[in-house]
Amino acid sequence: MKQFIVFLFFIQICNLHYAQQSKVLNAYVTKLNSVKDYSVNAKIVAAVPMIKIKEVNAIIYFKQKDKFKIETKGIAVLPKQGFLDLNKFLATPSKYMAIESAGKEISGVQTTMVTVIPIDESTDVILAKLWIDSKRNIIMTSQLTTKSSGMLTTTYAYADQIPFGLPSSLVFEIDVKKFKMPKSVAANIHQTNKSTNNNKDQKGKITVYLTGYKVNKGLSDSIFK
Amino acid sequence: MFFKNTYNEFIKIAAKPRSYIGLIALSVLIAVIIFAMKADGSTYISFVTASFEQTLSFSGDIMNGNLIAFIILQMLIVHIPLLVALVTGDLISGEANMGTIRMLASKPISRSQIVLSKFTAGALYTLLLTIWLGFLSLYVARWIFGTGDLMVLTSDGLIIHPESDIEWRYIYGFLTAYLSLLTVSTLSICLSAFAENSIGPIVSTMAIIILFTIIGTMDVTVFDTIKPYLFTTHMAAWRSYFEDPVPWDAINESIRILIYHNVILVAIALFQFNRKDITS
Repeated sequence: MKQFIVFLFFIQICNLHYAQQSKVLNAYVTKLNSVKDYSVNAKIVAAVPMIKIKEVNAIIYFKQKDKFKIETKGIAVLPKQGFLDLNKFLATPSKYMAIESAGKEISGVQTTMVTVIPIDESTDVILAKLWIDSKRNIIMTSQLTTKSSGMLTTTYAYADQIPFGLPSSLVFEIDVKKFKMPKSVAANIHQTNKSTNNNKDQKGKITVYLTGYKVNKGLSDSIFK
Repeated sequence: MFFKNTYNEFIKIAAKPRSYIGLIALSVLIAVIIFAMKADGSTYISFVTASFEQTLSFSGDIMNGNLIAFIILQMLIVHIPLLVALVTGDLISGEANMGTIRMLASKPISRSQIVLSKFTAGALYTLLLTIWLGFLSLYVARWIFGTGDLMVLTSDGLIIHPESDIEWRYIYGFLTAYLSLLTVSTLSICLSAFAENSIGPIVSTMAIIILFTIIGTMDVTVFDTIKPYLFTTHMAAWRSYFEDPVPWDAINESIRILIYHNVILVAIALFQFNRKDITS
């Protein structure tokens, strides 16, 4: 009897472990890890309430495991939890559990939704929802909720780098309700027109167009210094 | 004769030690700001971008010469009128105080031309001060910090101007700032025509600027009708060139009002000086 109970407990543990794994996500992570390094030309177009900025050209460099650099001639605005954070988080499956469920249709593709919950409480990520195209093993949309930056929704589009799971464009949607202007710096003491800014809950959108990928060409570490 | 007298007036300004106080004060103030920004500019920047950085990250060189120039202009444009009035407020009353005004009036030049030459010399001094401010804030700052895109914080949000779109904004901005300072110069010379000592017009000019600025900042509806006509309201018009889109109508209105002030103040000074009793 005692042996039977131990056997049942073992079965339960195995089931739980199985529930924590997602084949779809694992396939995506495997594809992600096949990219050792890349450089890509980026055009950043930001449409964020309370920020006026013209489009900026940049070069993005990435090298495994977490080396990342954006080289711009001018000033570029990007989401705080942007390019690397999700992939960095997903790269270590032992640090989270993933639950698969039915997804929605995105751009004509039926997706699988994977909910990712971190095991480690100290991590900044609270929850990640991924809508993955399970046939091509690419993320179509992700929703990342973090302690520091709130929620960030990213929509992905792909072109010629599908084999590596690298997108041709990323559309970040961010929450801008918390932006407050420091009056001592921003206020114009001579301004007679009253500001119409009412700090309403608004969404900002940052689109990054990525072209000219150079994947696994061997980037030097000196680039990231 | 007018040009010779203007030249003489400028020589008089150049001969006074107080004329250099403005230039030295500007140099010291700008050096202090540049040093502070070099030492701990990132703290200042993070204070400005703090509310955005919870959600967004800024990549690129924010702390560059263009931003330093903007910070310097914003900080100093309020205080420079004092440096201008310190010299120009003395131009007529100083002569009255020293008794040289009679000798001046005995020259073969009309009283109107005497006053106009003083206004011209005052305008030249103000121009010199503005050029010095521009040189130190823009070119020295760019030499130390390098150049780059300009991040401007307005009450409506953050505007980031590309480097290629900045130069003309500064040129127009400095020209408009010069017009503002010229108005201060004209006001102090006008007050100088009424006074017999140097301190009165200088202090009065500053008192008027402080009073008008306070009226301009008070959020009371009773002042709403007069605020658009106060020259202090338009002294920060230079800042509007850094908005996007540029509010040309508002800038033109500001320029018009500042020019009206200059014309009216010169006319008042001419009227007062022509009827001034300098013989007794």
